Amino acid sequence: MLRGIGWGVLWMLSMALAPAVIGRAIDEGVAAGDTGALVRWSAVLLGLAIVQAVSTARRHRLAVFTWLGAAYRTVQVVTRQATRLGATLPRRIGAGEVVSVGVSDVSHIGDALDIVIRGTSAVVAIVAVTALMLAASPPLGLVVLAGVPLVLVAAAPLLRPYHRHNRRLRELVGDLNTRATDIVAGLRVLRGIGGEALFAERYRAESQRVRRAGVQVARSESMLAGAEALLPGLLIVAVIWLGARLAVSGTITPGELVTCYGYAVFLIHPMATLGEAADKLTKGHVAAGRVVGFLALEPELPDRGTTVPPSPAALADPASGLVVRPGLLTAVAAADPVDARAIADRLGRYADGEVTYGGVPLRDVADLRERIIVAVNEDVLLSGRLADTLTGGVPGRDLAGAVHAAAAEDIVDAVGLDAYVVEAGREFSGGQQQRLRLARAVAADPEVLVLVEPTSAVDAHTEARIAGRLGRARAGRTTVVCTTSPLVLDRADHVVFVEGGRVVAEGSHRELLDTEPRYAATVTRGQDRDRIPDGA
Amino acid sequence: MSADILPVATSAQVRAYARRLVLRHPRALAGALLLHALAAAAGLVGPRLLGGLVQDVADGHAAVDGIALAIAGFVIAQAVLLRYAYYASARLGERVLAGLREEFVDRVLALPLSAVERAGTGDLVSRTSRDVGGLSSVVRFAAPEAMISVVVVVFTAGALLLVGPLLMLPCLLAVPAIWAVNRWYLPRARTGYLRENEAWATLTDGLAETVAGARTVEALGLQERRHRRADADIAGSWERERYTLGLRLVAYPVVTMSFGLQVTATLLIGGIYHVHGWASLAQVTAATLYVQQLAGPVERLLDQLDSLQLGGASLARLLGVATVPADRAPGAARPRPGQDAAGTRLAARDVRYAYRAGHDVLHGVDLVLRPGERLAVVGPSGAGKSTLGRLLAGIHGPRTGSVTVGADGCEVPLVELPLDELRGHVALVTQEHHVFHGTVRDNLVMARPDATDEQVHAALAAVGWDGPGPDAVVGSAGRELSPAQAQQLALARLVLADPHTLVLDEATSLLDPRAARRLERSLAAVLDGRTVVAVAHRLHTAHDADRVAVVEDGRISELGSHHELIEADGPYAALWRSWHGST
Repeated sequence: MLRGIGWGVLWMLSMALAPAVIGRAIDEGVAAGDTGALVRWSAVLLGLAIVQAVSTARRHRLAVFTWLGAAYRTVQVVTRQATRLGATLPRRIGAGEVVSVGVSDVSHIGDALDIVIRGTSAVVAIVAVTALMLAASPPLGLVVLAGVPLVLVAAAPLLRPYHRHNRRLRELVGDLNTRATDIVAGLRVLRGIGGEALFAERYRAESQRVRRAGVQVARSESMLAGAEALLPGLLIVAVIWLGARLAVSGTITPGELVTCYGYAVFLIHPMATLGEAADKLTKGHVAAGRVVGFLALEPELPDRGTTVPPSPAALADPASGLVVRPGLLTAVAAADPVDARAIADRLGRYADGEVTYGGVPLRDVADLRERIIVAVNEDVLLSGRLADTLTGGVPGRDLAGAVHAAAAEDIVDAVGLDAYVVEAGREFSGGQQQRLRLARAVAADPEVLVLVEPTSAVDAHTEARIAGRLGRARAGRTTVVCTTSPLVLDRADHVVFVEGGRVVAEGSHRELLDTEPRYAATVTRGQDRDRIPDGA
Repeated sequence: MSADILPVATSAQVRAYARRLVLRHPRALAGALLLHALAAAAGLVGPRLLGGLVQDVADGHAAVDGIALAIAGFVIAQAVLLRYAYYASARLGERVLAGLREEFVDRVLALPLSAVERAGTGDLVSRTSRDVGGLSSVVRFAAPEAMISVVVVVFTAGALLLVGPLLMLPCLLAVPAIWAVNRWYLPRARTGYLRENEAWATLTDGLAETVAGARTVEALGLQERRHRRADADIAGSWERERYTLGLRLVAYPVVTMSFGLQVTATLLIGGIYHVHGWASLAQVTAATLYVQQLAGPVERLLDQLDSLQLGGASLARLLGVATVPADRAPGAARPRPGQDAAGTRLAARDVRYAYRAGHDVLHGVDLVLRPGERLAVVGPSGAGKSTLGRLLAGIHGPRTGSVTVGADGCEVPLVELPLDELRGHVALVTQEHHVFHGTVRDNLVMARPDATDEQVHAALAAVGWDGPGPDAVVGSAGRELSPAQAQQLALARLVLADPHTLVLDEATSLLDPRAARRLERSLAAVLDGRTVVAVAHRLHTAHDADRVAVVEDGRISELGSHHELIEADGPYAALWRSWHGST
């Protein structure tokens, strides 16, 4: 970064000195008719151009490095913090907010670092040029010294309405984008049932509102553009006027007059950079604050246990009275699916509870996340090669067996293990995604696998297949399935029925069907999900 | 998978469109150009007067005050003209931009049904957000900047010519170098920046995925993998950034050097002219200042060329949406207005369909729906159930064979009906229950824009609506509806649309049992008196239907009532037994 500032200063100075050289060339060469001096000063001017060309490249290179370095580093720490927070993240902060930290704040931070480099060179250039002018002619130097801040300050009041209108425009553009995305997201519905004209009309109305806000921004922006031409322009005129009077009185040469004009023109650029710096440093500061705020979040239930539980171990949840016996496939059928989910969350310590594993409280269990995996339907398929998506990139996992257990061979056959899975597996249907998620959970092969409604989106044929295969794939390991599907319940080693958050009956599916009418009602209702009523 | 990416317009189409766009507001464009030209002209007087001033000072007889006042006058004139020029061009830009995005949305809304069903929404969403956004910055900044730069360059060159044609010669020195380096740079830059943007998109998508899947990452211990993914994305982005940086590191110094050379040459050669008496001191000074001034606008123009190219790529993607060929050609024939049931019969005959050429997913399906019946379609995933449903709903046209509506003798293929007519016959209901941002009423009347308040209330009452009133704002940023309410809303829409046939594709499968029970009543109201095809998950649907069609490998393998199929003891019977236990 210091090197960047060094090259930036050199670059600004090489530009700043050009007017002086041109002035000399005009005085000593052109006006005096001295070809030798003209060639000499032209050579110096060309030399400055070379310095400028080299320093602009070096400066730009270092600026890009700085910007990218800041941006990449931010993405890295935000990613690491997101994985550290894990299940805590969605509870503490909106996903959109984190992503905006990673996208827009990243560039604000990069911009801030970049402007530090350019701003520093601008300050150096302004100081150097003012010093040169003071040396050449104290009155001219003083005019510039007083004029530059004046010009900066005079344009400031115009900035406020511009920023205000711009903010409003951004809000309206955001709303308009939401509207457009809404139309696109619901396009199937819209095209299926009609209403295109209505939505087009509404979009047009909002779009016109954005247009009007844009014109308002343009109005204040054009005032700013005018001021940016007027204020420095008047300063330049003042310099010329004073310079010309000095030149007529013989205090300075005609060439020096040209030089002064050149200086005044040049100074506009670093002055603008200073204005930019104020804005970017503010934004960078706010962005950095947001990143720091995100980094300060702590996981709610960190995985820090050290006790290795005995093996095989039973899992007990006193809150519901559930005891999961090791090595079996236990099905949890809950009258209210919310209860089943709460139990699953406690079993995996996603919610705090008194659950013990082999007698050890979960908070003390070493490598808890490796031992107990809770797979739910909000889990997302991560993009990447299908094989890696399913194995998590861990070599040696029994992928074929897991795919078989999840009855997902047809998907794998159709696209191949090397197929690229897009974000969230969007290209797969809901049922296909569910089977792939199941295959992934089975492939991880944990000591305890807790599945919540793993077959809710697949058809009966496939569900029957999964119900038969899952138990075999998990033979000897502990499995908990929260479900109300009779196909799955029928194949479980043990079924517990939960009502009001408590285990109220246990046994096999058939036993419970016969002896527990509330169980039968729950399971039958589950069957009736999309039953077509008999009509009138 | 079957998510074909939507087409992208060719560069010829983009150019033709851009031309039309520019010429759509000829007066506003001419006005803006004129203002910019006047502003540029006013800006050019200063150096000329300064040149004269230098000459006069050198000659020892200068009317300093008058000239300074004149320069001040032109500075003020330039500032005022610039202000109006900026305003005029920005206003034009906003108009163009509004037209662009409105046309795009119109195009999206006119996309063929089959394309919408097939393409998925990801690509369209990215076009709507990323490309419209990219184009906005081009229209707001890059295009006017480029236009202004051209005007300024042309006028500066003109002023230079006025000062002394001879003095223009040295500045031509730089032209070949600038031209050559841009010929080299621009094509590389275009692909370079596109790749760079892709890498950024990958990087931010990766982060978004890590954030959205934070729980999954923790549950499955994928932290390391996500870190590696982020690091790999960063490495990929870095490599592409370095490529474009390399391009700029060649182009920038060459351009800077060329300008340096140009200024030096003008000064040197102008000075020699002066020594020989071919040019005055005023001319040399003015020419040198002009040439120096030229650097700014030329550099800005070159800068904007990249953005303009990227804008062209965005425009190509937006226009591409319009190039999707229509999937239906409405004919003149209409089915006999069917008060009688036979007039509204839906029939599929020897239907074959392929998403990819040569890979039929339906192999000759025959199915005649009886008016008013409930038909359940069951079968394993991937057998073609949903495809058959879409064909019966007229979303896709069959590759061969036909899907028709109407009584014998006046049957009309669904794909030859205009959309409005088709929607009056058959509607497809899927699991997707998008709630649009707007009022509850907005969400309903889309099916029938001329619906009265009574009709809206009646439709809501029919589905047992228990959500907020018709004027409440729902959807994103509005009140959130439960999945069951979203589904009720979708059903109420159907009541308003009032088609005689409904195709339900796993329409209620995502609901929890308690919500489902209430919805069944809503559904009953909607289904009452209509022909229903239900693509079903659960076998109870089949049990309760009038007829069951078992679809396997793209064929209907069994067709009949539940009891007939149980008696036939085929695959359906086997599945039923395994599902239903011993009964």
